[in-house]
Amino acid sequence: MLRNMVDEIAAWFARSFPPQKGLTLWLILMGLIVAYVVIFFGLQLLKPRARKSLIAVVTFLAGLFYALEFFLPTELIDGKETNALTRFLVPMSEFAQIVAVLALGLGIYSLTMIHGKTLLRFRTGWFYSLTFFTFMILMATFGIMVEEPFSREAQINRDIRSILFVGGLQALEGTMFSIIAFYIVSAAYRAFRVRNAEASLLMAAAFIVMLGQVYAGQFLTNWLPTEGALSNLRIETMSDWLLTRINAPAVRAVGFGLGVGLLATALRIWLSLERGSYFDREV
Amino acid sequence: MEHSDPVNSTLTFIICAAILTMIFRSRRGKQPFIRRIPGLNAIDDAVGRATEMGRPMLLQPGLGGIDVITLQALAILAYVARAAARFGNRIIMPVADASFIPVAEEAIRESYNLEGRVESFRAEDIMFLSDRQFAFAAGVAGLINREKVATAFLFGLFFAESLIMAENANQIGAIQVAGTPSTTQIPFLIAACDYVIIGDEFYAATAFLTREPTLVGSLVGQDIGKAVILLICILGVLITTIMGPDNFLMNWFTPLWWKR
Repeated sequence: MLRNMVDEIAAWFARSFPPQKGLTLWLILMGLIVAYVVIFFGLQLLKPRARKSLIAVVTFLAGLFYALEFFLPTELIDGKETNALTRFLVPMSEFAQIVAVLALGLGIYSLTMIHGKTLLRFRTGWFYSLTFFTFMILMATFGIMVEEPFSREAQINRDIRSILFVGGLQALEGTMFSIIAFYIVSAAYRAFRVRNAEASLLMAAAFIVMLGQVYAGQFLTNWLPTEGALSNLRIETMSDWLLTRINAPAVRAVGFGLGVGLLATALRIWLSLERGSYFDREV
Repeated sequence: MEHSDPVNSTLTFIICAAILTMIFRSRRGKQPFIRRIPGLNAIDDAVGRATEMGRPMLLQPGLGGIDVITLQALAILAYVARAAARFGNRIIMPVADASFIPVAEEAIRESYNLEGRVESFRAEDIMFLSDRQFAFAAGVAGLINREKVATAFLFGLFFAESLIMAENANQIGAIQVAGTPSTTQIPFLIAACDYVIIGDEFYAATAFLTREPTLVGSLVGQDIGKAVILLICILGVLITTIMGPDNFLMNWFTPLWWKR
Protein backbone atom coordinates (compact mmCIF):
# COMPACT_ATOMS: atom_id res chain seq x y z
CA MET A 1 0.00 0.00 0.00
CA LEU A 2 2.82 2.38 0.97
CA ARG A 3 4.63 1.55 -2.27
CA ASN A 4 1.51 2.40 -4.33
CA MET A 5 0.99 5.65 -2.48
CA VAL A 6 4.63 6.71 -2.95
CA ASP A 7 4.51 5.66 -6.61
CA GLU A 8 1.42 7.82 -7.17
CA ILE A 9 3.05 10.84 -5.51
CA ALA A 10 6.22 10.32 -7.58
CA ALA A 11 4.14 10.01 -10.78
CA TRP A 12 2.25 13.22 -9.95
CA PHE A 13 5.56 15.06 -9.45
CA ALA A 14 6.86 13.66 -12.76
CA ARG A 15 3.68 14.82 -14.56
CA SER A 16 3.61 18.24 -12.91
CA PHE A 17 7.32 19.00 -13.35
CA PRO A 18 8.40 17.56 -16.72
CA PRO A 19 12.02 18.04 -17.88
CA GLN A 20 12.56 21.54 -19.34
CA LYS A 21 14.89 22.92 -21.99
CA GLY A 22 16.09 26.26 -23.30
CA LEU A 23 14.69 29.53 -21.94
CA THR A 24 12.17 27.84 -19.62
CA LEU A 25 14.97 25.91 -17.93
CA TRP A 26 17.00 29.10 -17.40
CA LEU A 27 13.96 30.94 -16.06
CA ILE A 28 13.25 28.10 -13.61
CA LEU A 29 16.90 28.10 -12.51
CA MET A 30 16.80 31.88 -11.95
CA GLY A 31 13.56 31.53 -10.02
CA LEU A 32 15.10 28.83 -7.81
CA ILE A 33 18.16 31.00 -7.11
CA VAL A 34 15.87 33.89 -6.10
CA ALA A 35 13.85 31.50 -3.90
CA TYR A 36 17.10 30.25 -2.32
CA VAL A 37 18.21 33.82 -1.50
CA VAL A 38 14.77 34.67 -0.06
CA ILE A 39 14.76 31.51 2.10
CA PHE A 40 18.36 32.16 3.22
CA PHE A 41 17.62 35.71 4.39
CA GLY A 42 14.24 34.62 5.76
CA LEU A 43 16.01 32.11 7.99
CA GLN A 44 18.36 34.83 9.24
CA LEU A 45 15.34 36.88 10.32
CA LEU A 46 13.86 34.05 12.38
CA LYS A 47 14.17 34.19 16.13
CA PRO A 48 16.75 31.72 17.57
CA ARG A 49 14.05 29.55 19.15
CA ALA A 50 12.06 29.34 15.90
CA ARG A 51 15.24 28.60 13.91
CA LYS A 52 16.14 25.86 16.37
CA SER A 53 12.69 24.29 16.05
CA LEU A 54 12.93 24.43 12.26
CA ILE A 55 16.36 22.75 12.35
CA ALA A 56 14.99 20.08 14.70
CA VAL A 57 12.04 19.35 12.35
CA VAL A 58 14.23 19.21 9.21
CA THR A 59 16.79 16.99 11.00
CA PHE A 60 14.04 14.65 12.17
CA LEU A 61 12.41 14.37 8.73
CA ALA A 62 15.75 13.76 6.96
CA GLY A 63 16.71 11.12 9.54
CA LEU A 64 13.26 9.54 9.34
CA PHE A 65 13.62 9.09 5.58
CA TYR A 66 16.90 7.15 5.93
CA ALA A 67 15.63 5.15 8.93
CA LEU A 68 12.44 4.12 7.13
CA GLU A 69 14.33 3.28 3.94
CA PHE A 70 16.64 0.99 5.95
CA PHE A 71 14.02 -0.68 8.14
CA LEU A 72 11.02 -1.06 5.81
CA PRO A 73 10.61 -4.58 4.38
CA THR A 74 12.02 -5.04 0.89
CA GLU A 75 11.07 -6.90 -2.30
CA LEU A 76 13.40 -8.28 -4.93
CA ILE A 77 12.80 -6.14 -8.05
CA ASP A 78 15.19 -6.40 -11.04
CA GLY A 79 17.65 -8.29 -8.83
CA LYS A 80 17.78 -5.50 -6.25
CA GLU A 81 16.34 -5.35 -2.75
CA THR A 82 14.07 -2.31 -2.80
CA ASN A 83 11.21 -0.80 -0.87
CA ALA A 84 8.95 2.19 -1.50
CA LEU A 85 11.63 4.73 -0.54
CA THR A 86 14.71 3.19 -2.18
CA ARG A 87 14.15 5.07 -5.45
CA PHE A 88 14.56 8.41 -3.61
CA LEU A 89 18.00 7.56 -2.20
CA VAL A 90 19.86 8.91 -5.24
CA PRO A 91 17.92 12.23 -5.41
CA MET A 92 18.46 12.66 -1.65
CA SER A 93 22.22 12.11 -1.96
CA GLU A 94 22.29 14.52 -4.93
CA PHE A 95 20.50 17.10 -2.79
CA ALA A 96 23.12 16.61 -0.04
CA GLN A 97 25.86 17.06 -2.65
CA ILE A 98 24.31 20.33 -3.82
CA VAL A 99 24.29 21.63 -0.24
CA ALA A 100 27.93 20.52 0.15
CA VAL A 101 28.93 22.32 -3.06
CA LEU A 102 27.55 25.57 -1.64
CA ALA A 103 30.31 25.27 0.97
CA LEU A 104 32.99 25.53 -1.71
CA GLY A 105 32.72 29.31 -1.57
CA LEU A 106 33.25 29.19 2.21
CA GLY A 107 36.50 27.27 1.72
CA ILE A 108 37.80 29.70 -0.90
CA TYR A 109 36.81 32.65 1.30
CA SER A 110 38.59 31.17 4.33
CA LEU A 111 41.79 30.44 2.39
CA THR A 112 41.76 33.86 0.67
CA MET A 113 41.36 35.68 3.99
CA ILE A 114 44.20 33.78 5.69
CA HIS A 115 46.68 33.95 2.83
CA GLY A 116 45.58 37.42 1.69
CA LYS A 117 46.39 38.92 5.10
CA THR A 118 49.76 37.13 5.23
CA LEU A 119 50.67 38.32 1.75
CA LEU A 120 49.50 41.92 2.14
CA ARG A 121 51.35 42.37 5.44
CA PHE A 122 54.44 40.44 4.28
CA ARG A 123 54.27 38.24 7.36
CA THR A 124 56.68 35.34 7.84
CA GLY A 125 56.02 32.75 5.15
CA TRP A 126 54.37 35.24 2.74
CA PHE A 127 55.91 33.36 -0.19
CA TYR A 128 53.82 30.28 0.74
CA SER A 129 50.73 32.45 0.43
CA LEU A 130 51.97 33.75 -2.93
CA THR A 131 52.46 30.14 -4.06
CA PHE A 132 48.92 29.34 -2.92
CA PHE A 133 47.38 32.20 -4.91
CA THR A 134 49.49 31.46 -7.99
CA PHE A 135 48.48 27.82 -8.11
CA MET A 136 44.86 28.41 -7.15
CA ILE A 137 44.50 30.83 -10.08
CA LEU A 138 46.38 28.49 -12.45
CA MET A 139 44.35 25.42 -11.46
CA ALA A 140 41.07 27.31 -11.68
CA THR A 141 41.95 28.87 -15.04
CA PHE A 142 43.01 25.66 -16.75
CA GLY A 143 40.29 23.66 -15.02
CA ILE A 144 37.40 25.91 -16.01
CA MET A 145 38.61 26.74 -19.54
CA VAL A 146 36.42 25.04 -22.15
CA GLU A 147 37.44 24.54 -25.79
CA GLU A 148 36.65 22.40 -28.80
CA PRO A 149 37.30 18.80 -27.64
CA PHE A 150 39.87 17.82 -30.31
CA SER A 151 41.52 21.16 -30.96
CA ARG A 152 45.21 21.96 -30.44
CA GLU A 153 44.25 24.38 -27.61
CA ALA A 154 42.39 21.62 -25.83
CA GLN A 155 45.47 19.37 -25.97
CA ILE A 156 47.69 22.17 -24.58
CA ASN A 157 45.14 22.82 -21.85
CA ARG A 158 45.01 19.13 -20.94
CA ASP A 159 48.82 18.98 -20.85
CA ILE A 160 49.06 21.96 -18.51
CA ARG A 161 46.34 20.50 -16.27
CA SER A 162 48.25 17.23 -16.22
CA ILE A 163 51.51 18.99 -15.26
CA LEU A 164 49.75 20.86 -12.46
CA PHE A 165 47.70 17.95 -11.14
CA VAL A 166 49.76 14.80 -11.78
CA GLY A 167 53.20 16.40 -11.88
CA GLY A 168 52.55 18.83 -9.05
CA LEU A 169 49.75 18.01 -6.63
CA GLN A 170 49.88 14.23 -6.83
CA ALA A 171 53.69 14.16 -6.59
CA LEU A 172 53.57 16.38 -3.49
CA GLU A 173 50.88 14.20 -1.92
CA GLY A 174 52.95 11.11 -2.69
CA THR A 175 55.89 12.74 -0.92
CA MET A 176 53.80 13.40 2.19
CA PHE A 177 52.54 9.83 2.14
CA SER A 178 56.06 8.40 1.90
CA ILE A 179 57.13 10.45 4.93
CA ILE A 180 54.82 8.26 7.01
CA ALA A 181 57.34 5.40 6.71
CA PHE A 182 59.89 7.44 8.69
CA TYR A 183 57.32 8.55 11.23
CA ILE A 184 56.30 4.92 11.79
CA VAL A 185 59.91 4.07 12.64
CA SER A 186 60.27 6.91 15.14
CA ALA A 187 56.86 6.20 16.72
CA ALA A 188 57.59 2.45 16.89
CA TYR A 189 60.96 3.11 18.51
CA ARG A 190 59.28 5.01 21.34
CA ALA A 191 56.41 2.52 21.66
CA PHE A 192 58.73 -0.49 21.87
CA ARG A 193 61.02 0.87 24.57
CA VAL A 194 60.76 -1.63 27.42
CA ARG A 195 59.64 0.50 30.35
CA ASN A 196 57.08 -1.69 32.07
CA ALA A 197 55.34 -5.06 31.86
CA GLU A 198 52.77 -3.87 29.28
CA ALA A 199 55.46 -2.39 27.02
CA SER A 200 57.46 -5.65 27.27
CA LEU A 201 54.37 -7.66 26.32
CA LEU A 202 53.66 -5.31 23.42
CA MET A 203 57.21 -5.59 22.17
CA ALA A 204 57.25 -9.38 22.41
CA ALA A 205 53.93 -9.65 20.54
CA ALA A 206 55.04 -7.17 17.87
CA PHE A 207 58.34 -9.02 17.47
CA ILE A 208 56.55 -12.34 16.86
CA VAL A 209 53.99 -10.81 14.45
CA MET A 210 56.69 -8.99 12.46
CA LEU A 211 58.87 -12.09 12.21
CA GLY A 212 55.84 -14.16 11.23
CA GLN A 213 55.20 -11.90 8.23
CA VAL A 214 58.66 -12.20 6.64
CA TYR A 215 60.45 -15.21 5.21
CA ALA A 216 63.57 -14.58 7.28
CA GLY A 217 61.42 -14.89 10.43
CA GLN A 218 59.70 -18.05 9.24
CA PHE A 219 63.09 -19.53 8.41
CA LEU A 220 64.06 -19.39 12.11
CA THR A 221 61.51 -22.07 13.05
CA ASN A 222 61.46 -23.89 9.74
CA TRP A 223 63.03 -26.96 11.35
CA LEU A 224 59.94 -27.54 13.51
CA PRO A 225 57.30 -30.00 12.18
CA THR A 226 54.25 -28.62 10.35
CA GLU A 227 51.88 -30.95 12.19
CA GLY A 228 51.46 -32.00 15.82
CA ALA A 229 51.90 -30.08 19.07
CA LEU A 230 55.32 -28.70 18.16
CA SER A 231 53.92 -26.99 15.05
CA ASN A 232 52.31 -24.46 17.40
CA LEU A 233 55.76 -23.12 18.16
CA ARG A 234 56.44 -22.20 14.53
CA ILE A 235 56.75 -18.41 14.29
CA GLU A 236 54.08 -18.03 11.58
CA THR A 237 51.61 -20.11 13.67
CA MET A 238 52.24 -17.97 16.74
CA SER A 239 51.92 -14.82 14.64
CA ASP A 240 48.65 -16.04 13.14
CA TRP A 241 47.36 -17.01 16.60
CA LEU A 242 48.14 -13.54 17.97
CA LEU A 243 46.42 -11.85 15.04
CA THR A 244 43.30 -14.02 14.86
CA ARG A 245 42.76 -15.06 18.48
CA ILE A 246 43.98 -12.01 20.43
CA ASN A 247 43.95 -9.01 18.09
CA ALA A 248 40.83 -9.69 16.01
CA PRO A 249 38.43 -10.26 18.98
CA ALA A 250 39.76 -7.12 20.70
CA VAL A 251 39.25 -5.04 17.54
CA ARG A 252 35.75 -6.50 17.10
CA ALA A 253 34.90 -5.70 20.73
CA VAL A 254 36.06 -2.12 20.19
CA GLY A 255 33.96 -2.10 17.01
CA PHE A 256 30.83 -3.18 18.90
CA GLY A 257 31.35 -0.42 21.46
CA LEU A 258 31.89 2.12 18.72
CA GLY A 259 28.78 0.97 16.87
CA VAL A 260 26.57 1.36 19.93
CA GLY A 261 28.19 4.74 20.73
CA LEU A 262 27.58 5.91 17.17
CA LEU A 263 23.96 4.77 17.37
CA ALA A 264 23.42 6.66 20.64
CA THR A 265 24.99 9.86 19.31
CA ALA A 266 23.03 9.62 16.05
CA LEU A 267 19.82 9.06 18.01
CA ARG A 268 20.45 12.13 20.18
CA ILE A 269 21.17 14.27 17.12
CA TRP A 270 18.20 12.89 15.17
CA LEU A 271 15.76 13.59 17.99
CA SER A 272 17.49 16.88 18.91
CA LEU A 273 18.03 15.64 22.46
CA GLU A 274 21.57 17.01 22.61
CA ARG A 275 22.09 19.77 25.14
CA GLY A 276 24.94 22.28 25.13
CA SER A 277 28.01 21.93 22.90
CA TYR A 278 26.52 22.83 19.55
CA PHE A 279 22.74 22.78 19.59
CA ASP A 280 21.05 24.31 22.55
CA ARG A 281 22.63 27.44 23.92
CA GLU A 282 22.61 30.59 21.86
CA VAL A 283 25.21 33.34 21.76
CA MET B 1 21.49 -0.98 -1.06
CA GLU B 2 21.69 -2.57 2.35
CA HIS B 3 18.52 -3.10 4.30
CA SER B 4 17.65 -4.37 7.72
CA ASP B 5 16.36 -7.81 8.60
CA PRO B 6 14.04 -8.75 11.51
CA VAL B 7 16.88 -9.59 13.94
CA ASN B 8 18.77 -6.41 13.10
CA SER B 9 15.62 -4.31 13.50
CA THR B 10 14.73 -5.93 16.83
CA LEU B 11 18.25 -5.49 18.19
CA THR B 12 18.40 -1.85 17.08
CA PHE B 13 14.99 -1.22 18.62
CA ILE B 14 16.06 -2.76 21.96
CA ILE B 15 19.26 -0.70 22.11
CA CYS B 16 17.49 2.52 21.07
CA ALA B 17 14.76 1.89 23.67
CA ALA B 18 17.41 1.34 26.36
CA ILE B 19 19.23 4.55 25.39
CA LEU B 20 16.06 6.68 25.31
CA THR B 21 14.73 5.20 28.58
CA MET B 22 17.99 5.95 30.36
CA ILE B 23 18.15 9.47 28.89
CA PHE B 24 14.67 10.36 30.19
CA ARG B 25 15.36 8.64 33.52
CA SER B 26 18.58 10.60 33.91
CA ARG B 27 16.79 13.85 33.00
CA ARG B 28 14.39 13.21 35.87
CA GLY B 29 17.38 13.42 38.23
CA LYS B 30 18.65 9.86 38.64
CA GLN B 31 22.32 10.46 37.80
CA PRO B 32 24.34 7.26 37.47
CA PHE B 33 28.06 6.87 38.22
CA ILE B 34 30.65 7.20 35.44
CA ARG B 35 34.14 5.74 35.85
CA ARG B 36 37.25 7.87 35.34
CA ILE B 37 38.79 8.11 31.87
CA PRO B 38 42.48 9.09 32.32
CA GLY B 39 42.82 10.58 28.83
CA LEU B 40 39.99 13.01 29.51
CA ASN B 41 41.33 13.94 32.93
CA ALA B 42 44.48 15.00 31.11
CA ILE B 43 42.63 17.66 29.10
CA ASP B 44 42.69 20.23 31.90
CA ASP B 45 46.38 19.54 32.58
CA ALA B 46 47.18 19.96 28.91
CA VAL B 47 45.29 23.27 28.77
CA GLY B 48 47.09 24.40 31.94
CA ARG B 49 50.44 23.58 30.36
CA ALA B 50 49.65 25.66 27.28
CA THR B 51 48.69 28.55 29.57
CA GLU B 52 51.96 28.33 31.47
CA MET B 53 53.97 28.22 28.26
CA GLY B 54 51.96 31.01 26.64
CA ARG B 55 51.67 29.05 23.42
CA PRO B 56 48.58 28.14 21.37
CA MET B 57 46.70 24.84 21.35
CA LEU B 58 45.83 22.86 18.25
CA LEU B 59 42.31 21.44 18.04
CA GLN B 60 41.96 18.95 15.22
CA PRO B 61 38.54 17.50 14.34
CA GLY B 62 39.89 15.08 11.71
CA LEU B 63 39.03 14.58 8.07
CA GLY B 64 35.29 13.93 8.43
CA GLY B 65 32.59 16.23 7.07
CA ILE B 66 29.45 17.15 8.97
CA ASP B 67 28.74 13.70 10.33
CA VAL B 68 28.11 12.07 13.70
CA ILE B 69 31.80 11.40 14.38
CA THR B 70 32.94 14.94 13.61
CA LEU B 71 30.05 16.46 15.57
CA GLN B 72 31.04 14.31 18.54
CA ALA B 73 34.66 15.44 18.10
CA LEU B 74 33.46 19.04 17.97
CA ALA B 75 31.54 18.57 21.23
CA ILE B 76 34.78 17.43 22.93
CA LEU B 77 36.80 20.22 21.33
CA ALA B 78 34.17 22.77 22.37
CA TYR B 79 34.83 21.72 25.98
CA VAL B 80 38.58 22.23 25.41
CA ALA B 81 37.85 25.62 23.83
CA ARG B 82 35.86 26.58 26.90
CA ALA B 83 38.83 25.77 29.14
CA ALA B 84 41.04 27.74 26.72
CA ALA B 85 38.69 30.72 26.94
CA ARG B 86 38.76 30.53 30.74
CA PHE B 87 42.56 30.71 30.83
CA GLY B 88 42.90 33.13 27.91
CA ASN B 89 44.66 30.67 25.57
CA ARG B 90 44.69 30.92 21.82
CA ILE B 91 43.32 27.95 19.92
CA ILE B 92 43.97 27.00 16.30
CA MET B 93 41.49 24.74 14.54
CA PRO B 94 42.28 23.71 10.96
CA VAL B 95 39.44 21.87 9.20
CA ALA B 96 39.37 19.71 6.09
CA ASP B 97 35.76 20.33 5.10
CA ALA B 98 34.72 23.86 4.20
CA SER B 99 31.08 23.21 5.11
CA PHE B 100 32.23 22.44 8.65
CA ILE B 101 33.64 25.97 9.20
CA PRO B 102 30.35 27.68 10.22
CA VAL B 103 29.41 24.79 12.54
CA ALA B 104 32.84 24.85 14.20
CA GLU B 105 32.83 28.65 14.46
CA GLU B 106 29.42 28.59 16.11
CA ALA B 107 30.41 25.91 18.64
CA ILE B 108 33.73 27.55 19.57
CA ARG B 109 32.18 31.02 19.79
CA GLU B 110 29.54 29.58 22.11
CA SER B 111 32.29 28.12 24.32
CA TYR B 112 33.95 31.52 24.60
CA ASN B 113 30.58 33.13 25.26
CA LEU B 114 29.80 30.70 28.09
CA GLU B 115 33.01 31.83 29.79
CA GLY B 116 32.13 35.49 29.16
CA ARG B 117 35.14 35.94 26.86
CA VAL B 118 33.48 36.21 23.47
CA GLU B 119 35.71 39.18 22.58
CA SER B 120 38.76 36.84 22.72
CA PHE B 121 37.31 34.57 20.05
CA ARG B 122 39.23 34.82 16.75
CA ALA B 123 37.17 33.49 13.85
CA GLU B 124 40.29 33.42 11.63
CA ASP B 125 41.83 30.73 13.86
CA ILE B 126 39.24 28.28 12.54
CA MET B 127 40.54 27.78 9.05
CA PHE B 128 40.03 25.58 6.04
CA LEU B 129 43.31 24.15 4.74
CA SER B 130 42.48 21.56 2.09
CA ASP B 131 40.06 18.73 1.52
CA ARG B 132 42.86 16.54 0.15
CA GLN B 133 44.22 14.20 2.81
CA PHE B 134 47.96 14.77 2.53
CA ALA B 135 47.75 18.42 1.54
CA PHE B 136 45.74 18.87 4.75
CA ALA B 137 48.29 16.88 6.78
CA ALA B 138 51.12 19.00 5.35
CA GLY B 139 49.21 22.17 6.26
CA VAL B 140 48.60 21.00 9.84
CA ALA B 141 52.24 19.90 10.22
CA GLY B 142 53.33 23.35 9.04
CA LEU B 143 51.01 25.05 11.53
CA ILE B 144 52.27 22.86 14.38
CA ASN B 145 55.87 23.77 13.62
CA ARG B 146 55.35 27.48 12.88
CA GLU B 147 53.08 28.19 15.83
CA LYS B 148 54.99 25.86 18.20
CA VAL B 149 51.75 24.61 19.75
CA ALA B 150 51.99 23.58 23.40
CA THR B 151 49.24 20.98 23.20
CA ALA B 152 47.45 19.17 20.43
CA PHE B 153 44.01 17.63 20.70
CA LEU B 154 43.31 15.15 17.93
CA PHE B 155 39.70 14.05 18.08
CA GLY B 156 37.71 12.80 15.12
CA LEU B 157 38.00 10.65 12.04
CA PHE B 158 41.62 10.04 11.02
CA PHE B 159 43.29 7.99 8.35
CA ALA B 160 46.94 7.61 7.35
CA GLU B 161 47.61 11.32 7.99
CA SER B 162 47.15 10.91 11.76
CA LEU B 163 50.77 9.92 12.30
CA ILE B 164 52.11 12.89 10.32
CA MET B 165 50.26 15.28 12.61
CA ALA B 166 50.94 13.39 15.84
CA GLU B 167 54.65 12.93 15.15
CA ASN B 168 55.14 16.58 14.21
CA ALA B 169 53.49 17.64 17.46
CA ASN B 170 55.60 15.11 19.36
CA GLN B 171 58.81 16.42 17.80
CA ILE B 172 58.19 19.94 19.09
CA GLY B 173 57.37 18.57 22.55
CA ALA B 174 53.63 19.24 22.55
CA ILE B 175 51.41 17.28 24.92
CA GLN B 176 48.90 15.33 22.87
CA VAL B 177 45.49 13.98 23.76
CA ALA B 178 43.81 11.97 21.01
CA GLY B 179 40.65 9.98 20.43
CA THR B 180 39.29 8.39 17.30
CA PRO B 181 36.79 5.75 16.26
CA SER B 182 39.16 4.69 13.45
CA THR B 183 40.43 1.41 14.89
CA THR B 184 43.26 1.24 12.35
CA GLN B 185 44.69 4.55 13.56
CA ILE B 186 44.50 3.86 17.31
CA PRO B 187 47.89 2.02 17.40
CA PHE B 188 49.63 4.96 15.68
CA LEU B 189 48.07 7.47 18.04
CA ILE B 190 48.99 5.33 21.06
CA ALA B 191 52.59 5.27 19.85
CA ALA B 192 52.80 9.00 19.18
CA CYS B 193 50.47 10.66 21.73
CA ASP B 194 50.59 11.07 25.50
CA TYR B 195 46.97 10.16 26.14
CA VAL B 196 44.56 8.29 23.88
CA ILE B 197 40.94 7.50 24.50
CA ILE B 198 40.00 4.37 22.60
CA GLY B 199 36.85 2.76 21.31
CA ASP B 200 33.53 3.95 22.66
CA GLU B 201 35.29 6.20 25.19
CA PHE B 202 35.24 8.61 22.24
CA TYR B 203 31.45 8.76 22.48
CA ALA B 204 31.49 8.72 26.29
CA ALA B 205 33.81 11.72 26.45
CA THR B 206 31.17 14.46 26.37
CA ALA B 207 29.15 12.73 29.08
CA PHE B 208 32.26 12.45 31.24
CA LEU B 209 33.30 16.06 30.67
CA THR B 210 29.96 17.85 30.96
CA ARG B 211 27.98 15.45 33.21
CA GLU B 212 24.83 16.59 31.41
CA PRO B 213 21.91 14.27 32.27
CA THR B 214 21.05 13.57 28.62
CA LEU B 215 24.59 12.47 27.82
CA VAL B 216 25.08 10.50 31.02
CA GLY B 217 21.75 8.73 30.52
CA SER B 218 22.70 7.97 26.94
CA LEU B 219 26.00 6.49 28.14
CA VAL B 220 24.20 4.14 30.54
CA GLY B 221 21.81 3.17 27.73
CA GLN B 222 24.84 2.36 25.54
CA ASP B 223 26.20 0.10 28.29
CA ILE B 224 22.87 -1.76 28.42
CA GLY B 225 23.08 -2.15 24.63
CA LYS B 226 26.59 -3.54 24.92
CA ALA B 227 25.44 -5.92 27.66
CA VAL B 228 22.72 -7.21 25.30
CA ILE B 229 25.31 -7.79 22.55
CA LEU B 230 27.65 -9.49 25.03
CA LEU B 231 24.83 -11.76 26.17
CA ILE B 232 24.12 -12.75 22.56
CA CYS B 233 27.85 -13.44 22.02
CA ILE B 234 28.00 -15.69 25.09
CA LEU B 235 24.81 -17.49 24.06
CA GLY B 236 26.24 -17.88 20.55
CA VAL B 237 29.43 -19.46 21.89
CA LEU B 238 27.51 -21.84 24.16
CA ILE B 239 24.89 -22.88 21.60
CA THR B 240 27.43 -23.29 18.79
CA THR B 241 29.68 -25.36 21.08
CA ILE B 242 26.80 -27.63 22.00
CA MET B 243 24.78 -27.78 18.75
CA GLY B 244 27.40 -27.08 16.08
CA PRO B 245 27.53 -24.20 13.55
CA ASP B 246 24.10 -24.93 11.97
CA ASN B 247 21.89 -23.85 14.86
CA PHE B 248 18.86 -21.57 15.23
CA LEU B 249 20.79 -18.62 16.70
CA MET B 250 23.36 -18.62 13.91
CA ASN B 251 20.52 -18.89 11.36
CA TRP B 252 18.71 -15.89 12.87
CA PHE B 253 21.82 -13.79 12.33
CA THR B 254 22.26 -14.94 8.74
CA PRO B 255 20.46 -12.46 6.42
CA LEU B 256 19.90 -15.10 3.70
CA TRP B 257 18.01 -17.29 6.16
CA TRP B 258 15.20 -14.69 6.26
CA LYS B 259 14.89 -14.70 2.48
CA ARG B 260 14.15 -18.45 2.31
